[in-house]
Amino acid sequence: MRDPDILVIGGGPAGMSAALEAARSGLAVELVEQRESLGGAIYRQPIEGVQVIPQSAGARGRWAALSQAFSKAAIPVRFGSVFLGVDGHGYVLVENRQNGLVECLSPRAVVLATGAVEHVHPRPGWQFAGVSTAGGLQVMMKETGTAPRGSVLLAGSGPLLIAVAAQMARLGNPPLAIVESGDPYRRIMPGLSMLGFPKLLAEALGYLKDIHLHRIPWLRGSRLVRIERQGERFSAVVRAGDGSQSTFVCDRIGLHDGIRPNDYGLPQASSEAAAGPVILRAGDCREALGAIAAEADGRRAGRLAIQGVAASAADDIGKIDRQRRAQALLARLFAPVDDRSALDELADDTLLCRCEGKTVGDLRNLCQRVDSLTGREVKHNGRFAMGACQGRFCAANTAALMARFKPEAPASSAADLTGRRWPVRPVSIGALVRAASRDNDTQ
Amino acid sequence: MTEDTFRLMGRTISFRAGESIAAALQAVGVLTYGPDALGNETRCFCGIGACQCCLVRVDGVVREACITLARPGMSVEPMERRNA
Repeated sequence: MRDPDILVIGGGPAGMSAALEAARSGLAVELVEQRESLGGAIYRQPIEGVQVIPQSAGARGRWAALSQAFSKAAIPVRFGSVFLGVDGHGYVLVENRQNGLVECLSPRAVVLATGAVEHVHPRPGWQFAGVSTAGGLQVMMKETGTAPRGSVLLAGSGPLLIAVAAQMARLGNPPLAIVESGDPYRRIMPGLSMLGFPKLLAEALGYLKDIHLHRIPWLRGSRLVRIERQGERFSAVVRAGDGSQSTFVCDRIGLHDGIRPNDYGLPQASSEAAAGPVILRAGDCREALGAIAAEADGRRAGRLAIQGVAASAADDIGKIDRQRRAQALLARLFAPVDDRSALDELADDTLLCRCEGKTVGDLRNLCQRVDSLTGREVKHNGRFAMGACQGRFCAANTAALMARFKPEAPASSAADLTGRRWPVRPVSIGALVRAASRDNDTQ
Repeated sequence: MTEDTFRLMGRTISFRAGESIAAALQAVGVLTYGPDALGNETRCFCGIGACQCCLVRVDGVVREACITLARPGMSVEPMERRNA
């Protein structure tokens, strides 16, 4: 089989529109998708026989148009395949999980469209089974058409929490409450400015209507400070803005403190790579601005991939700029009411790195050494960001805490901790060795 | 209609065609899939294959339960076998 000219990683809106745009040139384009269906997290498709969960008219229309155009273009998709990285020789390594083989591809350009991950602040007890991200609960609803069972508490900050709450209500199990650290009702100016984004506003009002109809408490200006096991259930301690505490007994908890690019370990974007393919990023993994911007950014990257030069269409850039303004407004609208950071009062035994079981106290000890440690040294000495998730759920929190524990030391970023190395996902050594020996055979 | 099933640590789990392992387990109320490499509970957290909290052995091969399709007759085991 001939290697594709352009390889797109990720089958969400950014990847699909990048592939579509690139394929218009007549070049051979292929798309790599880790799951067995397209759509990404935002348009996660339901299994057969299950009703699509009610979404806004805008989102339904966008997916219908994108998926129809994509099937019409007949772009080959490598389903069940995971991008591992670009090796020193410029080979793009993809693990085909259907046959267990690692494939070494030599495309001329790679468009990385690996989407976003949720940002979650550490909280005591966030590691328990039954506590997941709110987005994780949402993709399960999209896939199965059923709400999570039992009494569910949603906590953190941002518009996604009200979307998940409304969707749960529509599926017959509204959450106990939404604990929101911000208070959009008190942010008059950004609230008024949202009038400039009527589609986003209509979507939000639709969710709020369901929340109101189902009498779901939206506890603004409040924080979930602790999760404890209570038999088979959880007791969740919530602190309100006035300092008063209340306890919720629940079966599941969904946490969400925003989204950020899923760019961990990805090779750097390059237009003129010395060896190997041109590497581009598109959509949320470049800048987390949501589905509308992702589709426009995908088109932009698709065109760049075929041209290899910095030419972009003004209407796509305009769309991306507009979504950037919308996201900045939303961030102000949902800014925490309490000035103290969610990281300030964490007890030392709070888990920080979920993969390696490292705690806030472990990091504090490292930061109390006479010599200031860099992000990389904190990784090597303390195992933060070293585990299987490659720092996706601890690197940003660890970097922020390092700055608090040792303000006089030079600030570290999440990327200082994680570094940029393949494989970006765990792969068996056997599969890599087989790929290497196949490579030698053909040389 | 015959239901499709797979095995989780000796238990028979029904699933619907197209469901991920994690979705099938959630549907029957199973939220933890045995000990992970640290001895903590294996569990679904991010749902999109990023956090690696739901790594299990599917017919011996390490996979994320949240993005791996359930297939008839497959065996799902924890990462580590420990003598309790």
